[in-house]
Parts: sequence; structure tokens; C-alpha cells
Amino acid sequence: MFKELDPILHSQLRLAVMSLLISVKEAEFTFIKEKTNATAGNLSVQVQKLKDAGYIDVTKQFKDNYPLTTCKITKAGVNAFEDYVQVLQDYLKVSKKNA
Amino acid sequence: MKTEDKDFDPEESLALIRTMIETTKASIKDSSHYFLLWGWATMIGCIIQYVLLNVVHYKHHYYAWFITPVALLIHVFFLVSDHKTEKVKTYISQANSYLWMAIGFSFLVLAFIFSRIGWQNSFPFYILFYGLGTSVSGALLQFKPMVLGGSSCFVLAAFAAYIPYDLQILLTAFAILVSYIIPGHLLRLRHRHFNQNSL
Repeated sequence: MFKELDPILHSQLRLAVMSLLISVKEAEFTFIKEKTNATAGNLSVQVQKLKDAGYIDVTKQFKDNYPLTTCKITKAGVNAFEDYVQVLQDYLKVSKKNA
Repeated sequence: MKTEDKDFDPEESLALIRTMIETTKASIKDSSHYFLLWGWATMIGCIIQYVLLNVVHYKHHYYAWFITPVALLIHVFFLVSDHKTEKVKTYISQANSYLWMAIGFSFLVLAFIFSRIGWQNSFPFYILFYGLGTSVSGALLQFKPMVLGGSSCFVLAAFAAYIPYDLQILLTAFAILVSYIIPGHLLRLRHRHFNQNSL
């Protein structure tokens, strides 16, 4: 019996954000937007969903008088990401066997 | 890459994760300007000191090291301008910063120690620290020329203990050339090459 894929992570843009954040200490919103090619509005919504799930921390501050949003993955986010990858690998193992 | 908010299959998920992790790898910022700044500053300092000591026979040959505060000012300028443009903090860049902060403090403490006990045996220790910093930095950046250049400093530091002071100055210039300057230029080339390919 498969564990279900985490619905918060099983969305292309949210998974892209988490995959970016898993390997860095923190990243600015503009960096994530640039790397994912998402629109600011859509990205804001998905970042908020990840924040509500407790997977990322979002810090808003000012840098040179401009608003600056920084995102950082949390411990819960790392665990959820690792679980998600594990479930994906289980799926792929079984589908290879059945092929 | 273009990402949309839609469901997708496990293969696509793994491919996306792989692509995004590769993308962040490419975001490790180019730090070659720091190696080149300190490499050239130290190299110039060594050459000026050697000339003042052996050619001009000037008593205060150590005045050559007034180049250090100038390099320090340029370093601060680099730090401020990098901070303004930095959009992502990686664990590698943070580990590198801590490493060089510790080595910077070590240089300060060494300067204090040698001003008390005499500078005649200072160069082997400086070469040793150049080797420590650049070999670890090279390993963090996964950049072999810097690891090799840095590692060669360990041999050069030991060798420096067997030669007279004026030759130690030239040996230090050589150590800087192989551990900072050549790897620094190669690192810059690697970043340019990487940026061109990712356009």
C-alpha cells in the first residue's frame, strides 16, 4: 500500500520552490521568481500555502528602502520534502517492476 | 524553466527536483575577485619588500605591507556591493565566509605575535595559512586547481623554513601565485563559461 503523495508538495510550482530552498540557506522572492519563471502573483499564492503548511519561513524586511521578501525552508519542510522523495521513489520502483 | 501550478506524474516530479537543484548549484556566486584582490596585493607586497630589502637596501622594507590596508578597503567595497546584489545565500558561500573570517583573524593574531617575537620566521606560517584557506575553499567550491595550489603551500611552507628570509619573500610570492592568482583567474573563467552556457 502506497503512502499518498503530500498534496502540498505535489504541485509543480510549490515543488519547484521547495527544491530550490532545500539546497540553499535562504533565497529572496525575486530569485525564486527568476528561477521558476512564475508570475509574482501565482508565486505569492504558492509561497503562502507553503508557509501556512509550516514548510517555509517567510521574512519581510527592507533593503535599501525597497521591500525584500526572503524564504527559508523549515525543519518540517525538510522532513516533508524527504518523505515526498521517498514516496516518489517507491512509486517508481513498483512501476519499473510492473513494466 | 517554466513552472505551472498543475499536477504531474512521479517521473516529472523527480525531473523537476533535479533541475531546480542544478539551478541552485549554478547560483553559487563568483568569489574569484576576493582571491584575485588578495593574491595580487600580497604578490605586489612581496615584490616591493624584496626590492626594498635587496636592491634598494632600505631599512624599512616592511613598509611594502602598507598595501594591506588598501586591499582591506577594496575588500570592504566588494563586500558591500556583493551584499546589495546577493539574492540567495548558499551553505557553501556561508561556510566560505566563516572560513575566511577565521583566517583573517588568524592573520591579525599572527601579525601581533610576530611583532612581539620578530618577523624573521613569519613567512612559513603565512604560507601555511594561505594553503589552509585555499585548499578548503577549493574543496568547498569543488575546484581542483585551487585544492592543488592550496595543497602545494603545505610543502612550500615547510621548505620556507630551510631558506633565508629574503628568499622566503620570493617563495611567498610563488605560493600566492599558485594558490590564489592562478586558481583565482581559472575560477573566474569557469564562472564566465558557466554563465555563457546557462544563457
